[in-house]
Amino acid sequence: MLKRTSVVKSIKADTFGFSSIFEIGDSSYIQCFSRALALQRDTEIFFGKEGKFTEYDIYTEPFIISPITENIYMDTANLHPIINVKSIDIIGVSASSVLHIGSTKDISMESRVKHFRQLSSSPNR
Amino acid sequence: MNFQVYNRELCVGHIRVIGVSSSSILLVGDAETIQLASTFDTPPESLIIGPFVPLTPE
Repeated sequence: MLKRTSVVKSIKADTFGFSSIFEIGDSSYIQCFSRALALQRDTEIFFGKEGKFTEYDIYTEPFIISPITENIYMDTANLHPIINVKSIDIIGVSASSVLHIGSTKDISMESRVKHFRQLSSSPNR
Repeated sequence: MNFQVYNRELCVGHIRVIGVSSSSILLVGDAETIQLASTFDTPPESLIIGPFVPLTPE
């Protein structure tokens, strides 16, 4: 099936961190997984080796996504097979994310984040 | 289900995004299936007030 062509005049992206991908061109399958343990403290204390993913079940519990049982027949007529973008301006792409210029087939991405907030004194005093 | 698509002119001027993060995608192009799943957890007990106790070591 003929794919469309993506045309981008200018891209300005500052940062690509934590296994992020900048793809110019087509791909067929994209699969990303990211898990984070976000710990906020109101003073600068950093113990270095702390936090264990196996400790919390948010990182292991399955996603309940109902499978698509209906068979879907899709027919695409590309009367104008060009996707035009003048400019893209991104500050950051992070945590297994993708900036993808071009066509793809299947994308399956998953992200699991657990937050902790540690305050030395109660905020309202 | 029959899904008929007619793609004509598609022009976007400027895309300005602060951040694309935690398994997200900014796609300029076609895709057949996209499946995104995200879970995050901030239970009341995740707010701890008092002396800093490091989380369980690695």
